[in-house]
Amino acid sequence: MKKIEAIIKPFKLDDVKEALNEIGIQGMTISEVKGYGRQKGHKEIYRGAEYVVDFIPKIKIEIVVDAQQADTVVEKIRDAANTGKIGDGKIFVFSVEEAIRVRTGETGNDAI
Amino acid sequence: MNMDTNYLQISNALKQDREKLIASFDDFPVIEFMRRHSRILDTYFQQSFEESLVGPRLGLNKNPYAIIALGGYGRGEQCVHSDVDILFLFKKRIPKEAVSLIQEIIYPLWDIGLEVGYATRTLNECIDLARQDYEILTPILDARFICGMSILFSELMSATRDKILNRRSKKIVAWLVKSNTERHLHFGDSTYLLEPNLKEGQGGLRDYHTMLWIGRIMLNIRQARDLEYFGYLSHDEYLAVTEALSFIWGVRNKLHLATGRKVDQLYFENQIKLAKSMNFSTANGLQPVEKFLGTLHSKMDYMKQRHLVFLNEHGFVYKPRARRKRKIASAYDNIVIANDMLEFSSSEDILKSPEQLIHIFEESARLKLPLTTQAKRMVAEFSYLVDERFRTSNSVVNSFEFILREPAPAFNVLREMLNTGFLVRMIPELKGIVNRIQYDQYHLYPVDKHLLRTVQTIKNFGSDRDDSGCILCANIWKGLKNRKLLLWAALLHDIGKGVPEKGHSRRGADIGRGILARFGYNTADIDTIAFLIQEHLLLVKIATRRDIHDEETAIHCARIIKKISRLQMLYLLTVADSTSTGPNAWNDWTATLLRDLFLKISNILQKGELATQQAVKTSAHKKEVVLASASSKSEATELEKLFQYMSPRYLLYMPDHEILNDIKLFRRLDDRAFVWDVNGGKAANSRTVRICAQDQPGLFSKIAGTFTLNGIDILNGQIFTWRNNLALDIFHVKPPPDRLFEKDRWQRAEKDLHKALAGDLDLAKALADKVKGYGSIRPKASKLPHNIVVDNHSSSFFTIIEVFTYDFPGLLFTVTDALFKSGLDIWVAKISTNVDQVVDVFYVRDFDGQKVDSEDQAAAIKTAIEERLPEIV
Repeated sequence: MKKIEAIIKPFKLDDVKEALNEIGIQGMTISEVKGYGRQKGHKEIYRGAEYVVDFIPKIKIEIVVDAQQADTVVEKIRDAANTGKIGDGKIFVFSVEEAIRVRTGETGNDAI
Repeated sequence: MNMDTNYLQISNALKQDREKLIASFDDFPVIEFMRRHSRILDTYFQQSFEESLVGPRLGLNKNPYAIIALGGYGRGEQCVHSDVDILFLFKKRIPKEAVSLIQEIIYPLWDIGLEVGYATRTLNECIDLARQDYEILTPILDARFICGMSILFSELMSATRDKILNRRSKKIVAWLVKSNTERHLHFGDSTYLLEPNLKEGQGGLRDYHTMLWIGRIMLNIRQARDLEYFGYLSHDEYLAVTEALSFIWGVRNKLHLATGRKVDQLYFENQIKLAKSMNFSTANGLQPVEKFLGTLHSKMDYMKQRHLVFLNEHGFVYKPRARRKRKIASAYDNIVIANDMLEFSSSEDILKSPEQLIHIFEESARLKLPLTTQAKRMVAEFSYLVDERFRTSNSVVNSFEFILREPAPAFNVLREMLNTGFLVRMIPELKGIVNRIQYDQYHLYPVDKHLLRTVQTIKNFGSDRDDSGCILCANIWKGLKNRKLLLWAALLHDIGKGVPEKGHSRRGADIGRGILARFGYNTADIDTIAFLIQEHLLLVKIATRRDIHDEETAIHCARIIKKISRLQMLYLLTVADSTSTGPNAWNDWTATLLRDLFLKISNILQKGELATQQAVKTSAHKKEVVLASASSKSEATELEKLFQYMSPRYLLYMPDHEILNDIKLFRRLDDRAFVWDVNGGKAANSRTVRICAQDQPGLFSKIAGTFTLNGIDILNGQIFTWRNNLALDIFHVKPPPDRLFEKDRWQRAEKDLHKALAGDLDLAKALADKVKGYGSIRPKASKLPHNIVVDNHSSSFFTIIEVFTYDFPGLLFTVTDALFKSGLDIWVAKISTNVDQVVDVFYVRDFDGQKVDSEDQAAAIKTAIEERLPEIV
């Protein structure tokens, strides 16, 4: 099993969700996060006062899938989240040791 | 038969009796159910006391004891899974056998799953503890004798009265009121929360308990009905309180039944089930659960109002600090102040001049004083006098506007107007949204309460009650000119929700127009308010669903919003609307996105050019002209696609025939690095070069360098970038010196540019010799120094660099090459030469597409350009 963690632009969430739906991904965890990478924060001046955005709002998606499916999922996310501009985000892939469904106790691929 | 089996029989009987009673829950009024439930428990205690093995050994006559019911059980209001509170009271001392007694009586209860709270105390202990800790005192106020030595119970009651209640009644009442107020703060106002607490929240059962306890303390009453007999409640009010209580009790017991445990918070997950089991059905587009919650809120609101009035009228209000005495007077003769509250001087008078009905609220807002209960009753009763003539009267409109605008930090006058029904008479269109619940996790308040909260949130911006955390909002609100327009929009923004169909914003704007026209507003004001109502979700939608780091998003919004003042109001409305909706609609993350969007649109609107009506018209017109040129349907489709690539700036500044030229060039480009088109004929002393190229960093400097290398002087130029990564540059140049071979010269230049773009020609090196000749420049007129301005304020999307200098050959190459070497990409440029004065403006970003807005970077860019400019002599 692989865990895929993607940081994307907020307005791309629906596109990514749809793209993953198409390949039968049923569930995911979404969080509203803030941070910066190469796309730095910026400041705006309004009537002489400075307003700094040092951490840029992004969406984090977490999905655990069967290892065989990981490449497809990554590709789908990449396609859907791509605008060609800075700040499009990053995708990380981790190996997952075990998954357990709390209600039934099922494990491994059955639990995801 | 041994005694153990006896106990087992008794507790089994209790279990069966309870199950039977609970199964027939719906057969009785809830009050009767709770009474029967208490009685079943009483029977258990009486029987187990009779059967007790330890009991007889305790010596009832030497050290009398009694079993006493406390709290809700004491009142005979035992809900399905409420705790059973029991006191084992001993006259003198607690014998060591008491432990066994408790084991005998209490353990079987635990075994059948009841929650039992018990205390074992002597009479003196009991009084001492209750005196020190009022939390122990209040359950004793509800104490009821069950079995044992009844005289002991009487002694407890009279000792409580003599030693505690009679000596410090005021202190205890003050404590009760204070701790109830604190409880409300903690559990919230159940009269509008979507997950109300039935017991502890404001409007909950504790409000009733508090009234009852105060009655017990002050008047020694035994039953709730006594509150009526003593005049604390009118007969109708007593009936209404009973009805409200029955409903809340009903919900509480159903909730216990549904969850199988003691729970007082009405969570989402149980609501649909409860609504069904309480026989609510769909009607008027409302789901059963929405109607259920609406009813519950109104019942709890009644409890809340009764409780507040009760405390107020009888002087039990908890005042955290002494109020300063002010000399205040009502501005109207027929409205008087009594005990810091407002009331009408006579009721017949209202019939003669109904305007008092709004005047009393106006005075309430101005003087920050509440209405007496009697005054509120009269407003409710005389509200029928509010008719069309009343609503459109100038003075009424002025009073209403005053109330709307006046800050109301301590209490909300509009809320009182709503509660008395006056507001709905004043604005009948509100009727459809009163107590309208939206059943989701998002909307925490019914629509009417939400509207009033939004108004309140706006008025609180920048005050110490501002909990939006939005400093920008406070600043905007402080400087906002026409505040009343925004407040009207806040009051009406969801008025379209009276009909359960999509499109409430647009519908609301229409309804709003009708209301405001009746209030006599001018067209401009009505337009602004209707606009705010219609677009109140625009900013949130755009901020979360569009790329706010794309300039076109901001331009798109700016073109809808049109005016900076409208943007300011729309932003404040958006923040207030979101914060007044509930915690799921507002957090720091959304706030950051929204603020960023606001600042970007604000910049566009302040600069004006791209967002004016004229700009929109001009761009639209050009599109039409260009489309008209299409000879076939497929060509028109292709043109439509190309429009998607053209930036608003390009469409605005490029004349339509030149757009057509660019399109022709673009069709020729294919996969070449660039194509160009030289125009002007042999006679003219200037040429126009249009270039269409695949954009790449440094493109501009390479074009400029190629021209200089070929002796072609640049007079002025403009560059634009299409979204498909295409550069469109137009240069006005002096033709090459040798006219006879002009064509060859252009061809050579074209070759040079191809080489330069492919990296086969080092322009800087090739130009070095040529430029060396010009060590310094001699301005013809004044000798102002070079001036380079790096502007990061005017645009949210570009760093704007302005270079003021004097013309010299190779100038443009020098400057643009310096920009390229500083890691900057030129998106838009305007080059103009006036005699020998040059003003070059560049819109740049770094190669990642970001502004360069740190001070270090700005300084470095300035230095990089300055170093390359020749000395002025």
